[in-house]
Order: sequence, then C-alpha cells, then structure tokens
Amino acid sequence: MKFDDKIPIYYQIKNYIYRQIIVGKLAPGDKLPAVRQLAVDLTVNVNTVQRALGELISEKIIEPQRGKGNFVTEDRETIEKLKKLLITEQLQDLYENLRKLNVSDEEIVDYLQDYINKRKQVQS
Amino acid sequence: MTNTIEIKNLNYRRNYRSILEDVNLNIEMGKIVGLLGENGAGKTTLMRLIAGVAKGASGSITVAGTDGVPDKKSAISFSEQLNGFNPSMRIDKIIRFYEDVYPDFSTKKYNEMAGFLQIDEGLRLSALSKGMKEKLIIGLTLSRDTKVYLLDEPFGGIDSMSRKKIIQSIIKWKSDDAVILVSDHYVSEIASILDEVVIIKDRTVYAQKSAEEIRSKYAEGIEHYYESIYEGNDIDD
Repeated sequence: MKFDDKIPIYYQIKNYIYRQIIVGKLAPGDKLPAVRQLAVDLTVNVNTVQRALGELISEKIIEPQRGKGNFVTEDRETIEKLKKLLITEQLQDLYENLRKLNVSDEEIVDYLQDYINKRKQVQS
Repeated sequence: MTNTIEIKNLNYRRNYRSILEDVNLNIEMGKIVGLLGENGAGKTTLMRLIAGVAKGASGSITVAGTDGVPDKKSAISFSEQLNGFNPSMRIDKIIRFYEDVYPDFSTKKYNEMAGFLQIDEGLRLSALSKGMKEKLIIGLTLSRDTKVYLLDEPFGGIDSMSRKKIIQSIIKWKSDDAVILVSDHYVSEIASILDEVVIIKDRTVYAQKSAEEIRSKYAEGIEHYYESIYEGNDIDD
C-alpha cells in the first residue's frame, strides 16, 4: 500500500481497514493480523498502527479479545453504518465539486445517469 | 515517558570552528526519529558524540541513564564505517568479530538479513562496492540487540528493493523500548516509519516535531516541511 505523505498515516491505515471490511476482504468475526505484522506489511511504524487500531476499537469497528488479538465486529449494523458513511463521504466530494462548477442538482442527476450508461457501454 | 537519550547544552568545536552549539534534545524510549539536515549540518558529528566515538564536547549526553563511555557503547549500536578493519579482511571474519565482541549480536538476525541483502561472505572488505558495504554495515548494526541504534545515512547506495526490505526488518525486529535515530538528507523512503523528525540547522536542533503532527497540522509531507525550513520560509505554527 502506498501512503500519501501529506495525510496522517494512522488515518490512512484506518481507511484501508474500513475498505477491507466493506469489500469483505475482512469478514465479520475475522481476526486482524498482529500489530507488528500489519506494520511490516504496510511498512509503517508500530506506534502508528496501534493508534489506528485504538481508534477503530473505540469506534467499535474492531473488538479486542484479551490475549487473542483484534477481531472485526460481528455487528452487521455497525458495518452497514460504516459503509453508508463512506459512501456519503464520496457523494459529498462529488456533489461539492460539481456544484463548484455551477452544475445544478438536476443536471448532476442527469450527468451521473449519462456517465453510468456510458460506462456500461464501455464494459459490454 | 522516560527519555532514552538526553542531551543538555551540548557544544562542540573542532579546529577552532564551532560545529554544534547549544544542542538540547530528548528522545523518548521506543521512538524512531529521523535526523535531517544538509550535508555538513552536523548530523554525523552529533551521532558520533552520542555514540562516544567523538570526544571533547561540553555539555552532557546521557544514554539509557548512563553517561559513561563503556556503558554507552554497550547500549548503542552505531553504523560505523568499518574503517578499523583491514581492507583485506574477509566478510565472514568481520561477522565472527562482531559475534565475539558484542554479546548481544544475533547471528540469526544477521543471517536473515544477509539472506535478502545477498552479501557474499567470501569477499574481502576491499572488494565490496559502495552499496554492498552499506548493506553489510546496516546488517551488522541491526543485528545487535541494544537500547539505541544510530544509523548514519544508511541507504545512500542501496537499491530501492533492498531498502524496503531493510526497513521492513527494522519494523519486524525493533523491540518496543529501542530507539532508532536515522539520518538522511532525503526523507521520503523512511517517512512512513518515523515517529518524529529532528532538523539540524544553523549548528543546532532547529525543530523537533511529531511526523503525524506535521501531516495533520500542516497537511504537508515530511519532505516538504523539511525543505521549507531549509529554504527559510517556515510554515507558521
């Protein structure tokens, strides 16, 4: 994984784990790699991984089990909420960028529909 | 947090020229710290002083609670340039020397690193290329089990693939309480493993900042922050 040096790394690690959970590479109840292994895999400082995991624990996305390690939450509602949150973030960026270009709400819907249609044609 | 390295009012002159002035620096236990500065800024001198190799400075340097040179030497693994060895000495002999002299030297660690660094132990020291010699030095330095590692521009001539593997083995092997002080004049390769950066400028410690704080506070990379300090347009606090 390649990090953007302008953004705090713990934050990028959190996002990386969010995405792993949402796309199902880390399923509910799965055990996360050990802190040091994660640090080696991502080539980052152990303290940084610990900070990221600490926040994920307080967000209840992962659950620590004493002596066993960290596990992805089995509460599907939490994961569903997380997914919605990330989608909203993406939509927000898209929406704000288009509004800055003076594209109206109706046009945004049209452009998006049009874009999706074109992508479908390219793929088929 | 306890400090593993404490430097107070350090001044150092050589040949009537001031090299370091009024250096005060604390490094907490367990931190990986990047020591940044231009060529000639005094990074190597500072490391040599911490290691007890250079002498004659005023002020105090305490490492792991001690300021005696012999105790310091056992607490510090310093990436020295192997200049004390006869150039015709074979690499395997140098490794045996490290095993004999340093009780904390781990042959297992060395062999694991030597595996991916591909150091030919049958060669003589004088036959090594610049990059090979640097690989040997970092392999030997990291194979000791100490409280402090001083790595003086360890990656200059090392190819990027080996660099990445060395950095990964640092993460893998570093004990939680060990401090690593690593100097470099270009930062991007090691930025992701640093807890802090210390910038040496105008013969002293010009700034000491947490790496994540630089990113969150200024939305800047370590490299850019460092350059902006050297170009004299400090980012406002």
